[in-house]
Amino acid sequence: MNALIRYSFATTVHNQRFLAPVVLFFACAGVASGNNSGPLPGVYALNAGALLLCAAWLTIAVISVEDPAHRAITVVAANSHARVLAASVAVTWLISLALTVLGLALPLALQPRPVGAGDLPVGLLAHLLCASMGIAIGLLCSRLVFTRPGYALLTAMVLVAASLLTTGSPPNTVFKRMATATDSLTVLPTVAVLLPVGLAVLAVAAVATHLVSVRRD
Amino acid sequence: MLRVEAVSKRYGGGNWVLHEVDLTVEPGVVAAVVGGNGSGKTTLLRLMVGVTRPTRGSVTGRPEVVGYVPERFPPNERLSALAYLRHLGRIRGMSAEDADRRAEELLERLSLQGGFDSPLRTLSKGNSQKVALAQALIRPPGLLVLDEPWSGLDVDAHGVLAAIIAEVAADGGAVVFTDHRESVTRANASLVHRIADGRVAPAADLEREVMEVALTATGARETEDPEWSGLDGVLTAATHQGRLFVRVDREHSDALLTVALRHGWSVDSVTPEKAHPAKAGPDEATTERAAR
Repeated sequence: MNALIRYSFATTVHNQRFLAPVVLFFACAGVASGNNSGPLPGVYALNAGALLLCAAWLTIAVISVEDPAHRAITVVAANSHARVLAASVAVTWLISLALTVLGLALPLALQPRPVGAGDLPVGLLAHLLCASMGIAIGLLCSRLVFTRPGYALLTAMVLVAASLLTTGSPPNTVFKRMATATDSLTVLPTVAVLLPVGLAVLAVAAVATHLVSVRRD
Repeated sequence: MLRVEAVSKRYGGGNWVLHEVDLTVEPGVVAAVVGGNGSGKTTLLRLMVGVTRPTRGSVTGRPEVVGYVPERFPPNERLSALAYLRHLGRIRGMSAEDADRRAEELLERLSLQGGFDSPLRTLSKGNSQKVALAQALIRPPGLLVLDEPWSGLDVDAHGVLAAIIAEVAADGGAVVFTDHRESVTRANASLVHRIADGRVAPAADLEREVMEVALTATGARETEDPEWSGLDGVLTAATHQGRLFVRVDREHSDALLTVALRHGWSVDSVTPEKAHPAKAGPDEATTERAAR
């Protein structure tokens, strides 16, 4: 599994398609963190939202690095479709975790502001929740499911907008609580309950993607 | 032993690509799958290696190490040939050092041009085909599946590939390949499966009558090399103690003699070889090695 992750990481890095979503995240987080003198949880909510969008794009980019013939060779070498997909997800997680660190650190580095006891844990969990939702969307809109990139892009945009803006969706619920709560410690139980929901969504999306891609091959 | 049993395949709700295909590939056998464009060859091969799953039926008995060379190996890849092979070797459970050693050995044997360290995408079609072959062989495969492996390869690499196929079979591995040229399938395969409209005809043993032709350069006239291995029906061509020995299918031996005489060679002897299709592979391997 390690070898597969290293291979997937190497092809991703060499291909450089991951750069666009990473740069977009830098831009979003930079603007949200630097120009916003509001309370820290509100800034973290914005950064987490940006991470959801970028994680979705990143996943699509990581999976489309290998074209189908190449991927077939990797699948035969690894003797498993599922492990090749898992390696792609692992690489996306690694990059998303790096972005999470950035999303948490940038607001503190760019603007001096008071840090509440619950701010960092809530920010961290919100980022992780958004990363898992974003990766789930990216998987469902990757080349493994959609053969036509135009439809994939449209679906991805709709899903990202829906998960960020629909009242009651886990990210939206967390954002609203983070923006309005005076003490972020009160948000902690909500986000701690919703993170497993996000991870479950990711697991379901991964299984669905696997089943569709195996059927399609 | 790889068994394909009552396998049917279609993609989505489309037409059936394969109908009720039954096929077994025994260890040590070199089998060719012959058929026209769109006959289902590639799908059958993808089912054998496990990239594709059958819609109906089953594929069982796949060995642990499977080597697969797809029809196209698009080199849209910035990793170098060596780095790519190292990764693939590690994915197959080798150490980085072992993978490196084996990769260099294979690339040298296939004489990869364009640099072991240059990105795959800069390689020509033939050279990226060599990398595709090397990745399939990085661990000695129990099943080697090659989809049109000769396409794009130069003449020198043709001989090396034939020798590699024979060696894999001699080591007890099964080899399945496709090619549309009769001369190539006859020269390399001990079994031929014909596929048409998604159905496979029962395998035909190649009842092959082989002639061994011994030739010498006369010296009196100028002799030329007509690229023996490219001629119809030629199985192997090897030089031994100043003489050239060409093994050729009986039906093509007269034509070969004509070519030899026209190019200024003198015929020393023409000897019929006993037909032993199952052993054709290993024999080729030894003559190839002797030629080196």
